Amino acid sequence: MIDNTRRSRKHGARAAVISIFVFLLIWQAATTFTSLGILMPSPLISLSAFFKSFIVPIGPYPIFIHIYWSLVRVVPFYIVGAIAGIILGITMGWYKPVAAIFRPIFEILRPIPPIAWIPIAIVWFGIGEGSKWFLIFLAAFMNVTINSFAGARSTDPVLVGCSKMLGASDWQIFTTVVLPGSVPYIFAGLQVALSSSWATIVAAEMIRSSEGVGWIIISSQETNNSVNTLVGVVAIGIVGFILAVIMREVEAVLVKWTKRDI
Amino acid sequence: MQKNKTLLYLILSIVSLALFIGIWYYFTAVLQIVSPKTLPSPVKVFTTFIDKFTNPNPDGATLLVHALSSLKITLTGYLTAIVIGVPLGIAMAWYPKVDLYVRPIFDLLKPIPGVAWVPLMIIMLGIGFASKVTVIFISAIVPVLLNSYSGIKQTRDVHIWVARTFGASDWQMLTRIAIPTSLPYVMTGIRVALGAAWTTIVAAELIASTEGLGFMIQQSRGIYRPDIIIVGMVTIGIIGSVLGLLLMLIESVLVKGRSKV
Amino acid sequence: MDEARHMSKSIIVAQGISKTFTNKRGSTKVIENINLEVRENEFLCLVGPGQCGKTTAVNVLSGLEPASTGTVKINGKTITRPGPDRGFVFQSTALYPWLTVMGNVEYGPKVRGIKKSERREKAQYYINLVGLEGFEHSYPNQLSGGMQQRVGIARAYCNEPVVLFMDQPFGALDAQTRYLMQEEIIRIWETAKRTIVFVTNNIEEAIYLADRIVLLTNTPTQIKKEYKIDFPRPRDYTDPDFLALREEITNEMDKTL
Repeated sequence: MIDNTRRSRKHGARAAVISIFVFLLIWQAATTFTSLGILMPSPLISLSAFFKSFIVPIGPYPIFIHIYWSLVRVVPFYIVGAIAGIILGITMGWYKPVAAIFRPIFEILRPIPPIAWIPIAIVWFGIGEGSKWFLIFLAAFMNVTINSFAGARSTDPVLVGCSKMLGASDWQIFTTVVLPGSVPYIFAGLQVALSSSWATIVAAEMIRSSEGVGWIIISSQETNNSVNTLVGVVAIGIVGFILAVIMREVEAVLVKWTKRDI
Repeated sequence: MQKNKTLLYLILSIVSLALFIGIWYYFTAVLQIVSPKTLPSPVKVFTTFIDKFTNPNPDGATLLVHALSSLKITLTGYLTAIVIGVPLGIAMAWYPKVDLYVRPIFDLLKPIPGVAWVPLMIIMLGIGFASKVTVIFISAIVPVLLNSYSGIKQTRDVHIWVARTFGASDWQMLTRIAIPTSLPYVMTGIRVALGAAWTTIVAAELIASTEGLGFMIQQSRGIYRPDIIIVGMVTIGIIGSVLGLLLMLIESVLVKGRSKV
Repeated sequence: MDEARHMSKSIIVAQGISKTFTNKRGSTKVIENINLEVRENEFLCLVGPGQCGKTTAVNVLSGLEPASTGTVKINGKTITRPGPDRGFVFQSTALYPWLTVMGNVEYGPKVRGIKKSERREKAQYYINLVGLEGFEHSYPNQLSGGMQQRVGIARAYCNEPVVLFMDQPFGALDAQTRYLMQEEIIRIWETAKRTIVFVTNNIEEAIYLADRIVLLTNTPTQIKKEYKIDFPRPRDYTDPDFLALREEITNEMDKTL
C-alpha cells in the first residue's frame, strides 16, 4: 500500500501525465460537444492563449511583465515583514515580559485575514503602491510571527539546561539554542506567509490596480473574456508553485541537519 | 515567586492594551491630529458597532444580515468540501489506483489561491450565491483532501501486519486502523480549510457582491466610513475566532471519545 | 601532588538536600535528606529502582535544579545554578541537532570565549578520545544512539569540568552497545581522570563501573546503603564475587520497593 521505490515513482509520473491528459481531454470534449463551451473556453484555446500572451500583450503588457509587476510588489515587503515577524515572534516566545506586552494586541489582530485589510489599507495609504506594500507586509508579518513564536516556545528545556551547564550566558542561549531551534518553525511560517502574500496581492490587484496578474483576471472578467481570465489563473498558479518550490529549496540548503543519512 | 510573576505579566498585558487604545483615543479624539475620515476614535468605532446591529444604512443591511449572508455561503461551500474531500482523500491514500490518477489534478490546483477563481466563476455562474459557494468549495477542498490523504499515509505498517495476522479484511483495516490514525491530520485539514474558506469569502465579497461583510467594508471605503470598515474587520475576526473555537471543541470531543475506547 | 591526599579530598559535599515539587494538586517530596560526599577522581554510581528520584537527585547535585533545603558544595563553593565547572551527560543525549559533532563538542569552550584554534584542538582531542575521529562533520541524526552518546561524553569532557554527572546515559541503548559503552567509559575515565557521578537503574552496570555504589530508596528518595567496590578493572561480569555482590544489592533493592 505504501511504497516509495524508484519504480513506483516512475510509475507515478506516468500516471500523472495520463491523468492530466485525460482531464484535459474530458474538458476539451465537454466544451466542444456540450453547451459548457459557451461558458468556458476549451483547454486548446486556453493553452494557446497562455503561450500567445508572452508575445501579444494583455492590456498594456505581455504576461511576464504583469508577473514581474506582481512580484515587485510582493518580494521586498514580504522580506521586510518576514524579518519583523521573526524578531517579534522569537522574542515573544522566549521572553515572557515581551509576550505579556505584545501578545494581547497581536491576538486581537491575528484573526483578521490580511485580505480584509484591503479597504482600510486603501483609506490609509491610497490606491497606489503604498497600500499594497502595507498588505504584503501584514500578510508576511502575521504568519511568520505566529510560527516563530511557536518555534521559540517549543525550545527543548533539556538543551537549555545543557547550555547553562556548559557555561552559556542568557544571550548565548537565545542565539545558540532558541534561534536555531526555531528555524524549522520559521520556515513553515515563511511558506504559509508566501502563499498568503501571493493570494493577498492577487486580491489587492483585483480591487485596485492597472497591471499585475490580479489585474489580468479582473479586467478580463469585466470584458467577459473567459480565455484571458483562465490564462491569468494559470499564471497565478504557476508563479505560486515556483515561489513555494524556491522556498523549499532555500530551506533544504539552510536546514541540512533535519536530513537523515542512515 | 512564580505567582507574583504571573500577576506582573497580567498587569503588563492590561497596561499594554490600555496604552494601545489610549494612544489611539488620544490622537483621534483628544488631539484630533488624525482625521476621522482616516481613523475614527475607538469610541466612534464602538458606537458604530452597536448602531450597526439595528441600522441598515449606509450599505443596505444590518451587521447581522451581512454576517449571516457571509456565513451561509461559507458554511455551504465549506461543509460540501468536507463531505466530499475527506472520503476522497482517504480513498486516494488507501487505493493506489485512485491516488495515481486523482492526486496530480489536486497538485495542480493547490498553488492557486481561492480568490483567483472569483472572476472565472462570475463569468460562468454570475455574481450570486452559486459562484461564491463554488469558489469557497474549491479553496476548502484542497487542504481537506491533501491532509486526509497524508493522515492515511501515516498508518504504521506494524499495525497493518498485526491486523492482517488477525485476519482483518481490507475494509476492516481501513475503518479500524487507518481512519482512526488519520483523524488528527483530517482535523488539521478541516481547520486549515476553515481559515481558507473564511478568507476567500471576504475576498470574493470585496470583489463582487451585493451583501456580506466583505461587501460592507468595501462599500464603506467608497463613502469614507472607516468606522464601519473597522467594525467589519473586527466582526470578521470575531466570527473567524468563534468558528475556530467551535472546531477545536468538536475536535476535543472526537479525540476524547477515541481515547475512551 | 601527594597522591594519598589527592584521593581523599572531597569534591562534592551535599548536606541535607531535599526536593519538593509543588503543583495545583499539592506537593510531592521527591528526595529527602540526602547527605553525600564524593572524593576526587572517584567513580560513584547512584543506583535506585525504576521511578525513584534518581534524576532529581543528580539534577540537584549538579545544580540544574535548586534544592528545596540543604546545600551542595563543589570544591568548597556552594552551587545554586548550572555552571561550566560541572559537566552533564543526559539520558536523551541532548545534542544540538543543528550543530555537527565538532560544533557540539566545542560548544562549551566557544561560549566561554576560548579562541578558535585552541578550542578546535581541545575538541579534536576529546573526539578522538571517545573514538569518533572521522565523524567531526556529521550531524547528530546521522549517528547511531551509541555514537550520539559518545558525542555527549566528549562535549561534557571538553569543558574540562571538575565533576561529570551522567544521568542514565546508556539507558536507551541496546544491550550490545551498552556493554561496549561501559567498557568505553572506563577507558575514557582512566585516560582522562575526573570525578564522575553516574546514575543508573542497572545494578550490573553499576558494579562494573563504580568505585562506590550508593543505593537509593523509592520516593521520597533517601540513601539506603553504600557499597565500596574494590574489584580490579577490567571487571568480569561472570566472576563469582561480582555475581554475589549483584545478588546482595538486588535483594537489598527489592526490600526498598
